[in-house]
Amino acid sequence: MADQLDLKQAERKLFRTSFQDGLLDIMISAFLLMFAIAPLLSETLGDFWSSVVFLPFLGIVYFSVNLLRKLVVRPRLGLVKYGPERITRLSRFTFMMMVINVIFFVVGLLVAFFTPRGDPQRMGWPVAIGFGLGFLFFATLAGSFLNLARLFVYGLLLAVAPVIGEWLYRQFGFTHHGYPVVFGTVAAVIFLVGVTMFIRLLREPYPPDANAFTGEA
Amino acid sequence: MDQPQEEKFNLQPLADIDQVIHSSARLMILTYLYVSESVDYVFLQRITGLTWGSLATHLKKLEEAGYIEVEKGYQGKKPHTLIRMTAQGRDAYRIYKDKLQQVLGSLPK
Repeated sequence: MADQLDLKQAERKLFRTSFQDGLLDIMISAFLLMFAIAPLLSETLGDFWSSVVFLPFLGIVYFSVNLLRKLVVRPRLGLVKYGPERITRLSRFTFMMMVINVIFFVVGLLVAFFTPRGDPQRMGWPVAIGFGLGFLFFATLAGSFLNLARLFVYGLLLAVAPVIGEWLYRQFGFTHHGYPVVFGTVAAVIFLVGVTMFIRLLREPYPPDANAFTGEA
Repeated sequence: MDQPQEEKFNLQPLADIDQVIHSSARLMILTYLYVSESVDYVFLQRITGLTWGSLATHLKKLEEAGYIEVEKGYQGKKPHTLIRMTAQGRDAYRIYKDKLQQVLGSLPK
């Protein structure tokens, strides 16, 4: 009984249960796909437009995920309104992510503006390591704020992905520093996790009409 | 020599512990309701792992005691049951938790 009174654990379980649909993972994988495909498109569209063309794609994924959540997930998983503590935590997380994104964006612009285009052979490793550390930082922050352990694993995968990509590029001549292969692979892994969770939810028996048990049938 | 240990050992709070809460299923339900704003019937069933019938029985007891509010409505055309803890339920839960922890804390290791 004492275990049931651990309010922090109970709140975490409540929050984690609301993420058992795999839709967050599918969204993350759609976002990561950009890092796999944008380098391939950059030759024809340029660096800027090769990323921008992904916005409508991400919009469609976001819309589809929300539709699935409303029509398929909610009747099966149920609905929870988080307590004030979790809402404060989520607001803090959103604010921190916004600030960090702005900082990263400004730093990225400054670095791109002031650094002369170097030899890709020399720039490859620092960019790969910086990229990896950035992903690790974001995923760790998200994992600890959202209490979702799998985000730490995704962070580790994303931290090593650009480094492996760079190695593949140098050893075997993989195109675009190996990013299409490594980020494509990580996106596929995360997508599979999401789809597996989603299918598992679909395979569970559909909940009966709750009112049948609460005296309103 | 054993006097302080005996003084510390006190099961008295168990005598007037809230019997509505003192059931593992109802305690589990109230714990999840305590840490959330509200949950619907489907989510509560999922997180507690109770059967539909058992959940309905426990919810009825908690509602009769005034510890929870059950709001029946519709989401689109489908019936939707929302459950939240009342202020009275929150107070009762806090008192229950304090008493139980007091008793458990007094037990020898």
